[in-house]
Amino acid sequence: MPENRSYNDELNFLDKIDAHTWRIKKGFVPNMKVDGFFYVNDLLEKLMFDELRQHSRAAGFGGFLPAMKQIANVAALPGIVKKSVGLPDVHAGYGFAIGNLAAFDMSNPEAVVSPGGVGFDINCGVRLLRTNLDERDVQPVKDELAQAMFDHIPVGVGSKGVIPMGARDLEEALEMGVDWSLREGYAWAEDKEHCEEYGRMLNADQSAVGSKAKKRGLPQLGTLGAGNHYAEIQVVDEIFDDYASRRMGIDHKGQVVVMIHSGSRGFGHQVATDALVAMEKAMKRDKVLTNDRQLACARISSPEGQEYLKGMACAANFAWVNRSSMTFLSRQAFAKVFNTTPDDLDMQLIYDVSHNIAKMEEHIVDGKQTTLLVHRKGSTRAFPPHHPLIPVDYQLSGQPVLIGGTMGTCSYVLTGTEKGMEQTFGTTCHGAGRAWSRAKSRRNLDYQEVLDRLAEKGISIRVASPKLVMEEAPESYKNVTDVVNTCHAVGISKKAIKLRPIAVIKG
Amino acid sequence: MVEEGAGYDPEWEGGDDGEYVCKYEYLDHTADVQLHSWGEDVKEAFEQCAVGMFGYMTEIDTVEPLDTYETEAEGDDMESLLYQFLDEWLFAFSAEPFFIARDVKIVEFDRENFKIKSVGYGETFDLSKHPQGTEVKAITYSAMQIHEEVDTNDIYVVLDI
Repeated sequence: MPENRSYNDELNFLDKIDAHTWRIKKGFVPNMKVDGFFYVNDLLEKLMFDELRQHSRAAGFGGFLPAMKQIANVAALPGIVKKSVGLPDVHAGYGFAIGNLAAFDMSNPEAVVSPGGVGFDINCGVRLLRTNLDERDVQPVKDELAQAMFDHIPVGVGSKGVIPMGARDLEEALEMGVDWSLREGYAWAEDKEHCEEYGRMLNADQSAVGSKAKKRGLPQLGTLGAGNHYAEIQVVDEIFDDYASRRMGIDHKGQVVVMIHSGSRGFGHQVATDALVAMEKAMKRDKVLTNDRQLACARISSPEGQEYLKGMACAANFAWVNRSSMTFLSRQAFAKVFNTTPDDLDMQLIYDVSHNIAKMEEHIVDGKQTTLLVHRKGSTRAFPPHHPLIPVDYQLSGQPVLIGGTMGTCSYVLTGTEKGMEQTFGTTCHGAGRAWSRAKSRRNLDYQEVLDRLAEKGISIRVASPKLVMEEAPESYKNVTDVVNTCHAVGISKKAIKLRPIAVIKG
Repeated sequence: MVEEGAGYDPEWEGGDDGEYVCKYEYLDHTADVQLHSWGEDVKEAFEQCAVGMFGYMTEIDTVEPLDTYETEAEGDDMESLLYQFLDEWLFAFSAEPFFIARDVKIVEFDRENFKIKSVGYGETFDLSKHPQGTEVKAITYSAMQIHEEVDTNDIYVVLDI
């Protein structure tokens, strides 16, 4: 592998197609079967190329592969179709970059599935609940509300779920997803409609999951997690698309909503870890070669590939049950503070999206309808109007896409577009992506200053780990508005609503 | 690419087992954390790596060696052995008995078959006693290095957090 190619030589493989789009030509790394593409604006472009320059200088010694190289390594995987794509929030990850999208032709026996293309936190995702409350209703009780949410929802390292569950319950939940939550009374029937896969991947098989994963998962069901996971009380700050917003039940600025960002906790991580170990062995056995050890993968039809997909589906269901549980607890917290019922507060689920998942989907490739295994790691499905898989309510406006911003900044709701369907298999970004390392954030930011700045903006915060406050400060991340605007400019998604937080609950 | 992180490096005295050494530090990494540990032999470097992992999840000096817990790990090369060794300890924390170790000692290190038996000295994680640090989601192979050829036996491993 030509590790010591100079930066200028690398540039020969990179083509700027238009203001926002770059092509990575075959040959940038060995064995590329298709080209790579990434979408950026000026700022994001600079970050990408700086990363590449540093890597060329280091001449292969230690460190991390730049996102551009990772996008290209993915393009070298067997069975990949059309292109390997980096969304505007792309940054280096394990094997696949985060914000890296790739689809594989399921009818090709060589095509692979790769846990690195899904992420460790399987079905990490976001959901948005609306309310019929206005900011002026919530401001006077904001602290009380944040406290109630923090008290109801277990957060942070070592926290345990409060919803009573045994091993048998867990196994049922793994196969039933949101249907389990519905049965147990933690979800409303309408919640199911407004969730990807209707909150349940049908090919889940709990016998494909190891006991370690189950043991890790059981105590954590119904917990928020830590790191960049959060629950936020937000208000509508700007409405870009009136029609789409009204379809979602959002009709005025100042309307209060609740956003929950969380995944499959230790369960998903263990499923991913176990699969990576199994696939590494299988790759040695079947002599499958990739450019990067982290790109462990298996033929989709192999026993390891099938095991992983079934386990991944269980983890996806776990995450949906988890988000449903936290929805239940949030509804309870609000009901308690406002002395009414969640029903009377109209706390309906607007939508729930996943940004770490692999889906079997139909797409048009070279004019033919083809079944693809679409890997979306740090990227979100964004289906256009009239797509059969999106709920009736959104048939005319398109699938809502929830983009969580960083702590104390802003979040967005977008809708999917036809152009996105053609260009990126119906996919768009997922958030902001980190700019500073956690250690750098802790060194350069002061805990009290970060809190003060949030307080100045009128944001109440409840956080389990004080260290996290600096690590998760907005300065540590890229600008989510840049990312969302780039996607909008490229045309792969459309802005609908901008949201501003007024209370943040973090682990 | 890898800058020196804010590691600290004192000899820490305390506990029933005598002194605790700290032969690990946390290095800069954009999204996650890279653990760097070292030791007089590779066995110690492994042990310090495990303690370093626990140190990221809470304030390690709030953990008392009240109990012991044993884990076993097996791999097919040194990297996969390190991976499994850390994963077993992560699992001991994440599921029953929710064990957090102040110190870890390897009692058997089978170099030929890549097997490790180790004992942790610590206690069950208690939210009222142990401050919540950062959650470790998984061990990764990313930029994993085990340098047995130098006296310090440096190990680098990235933890997904």
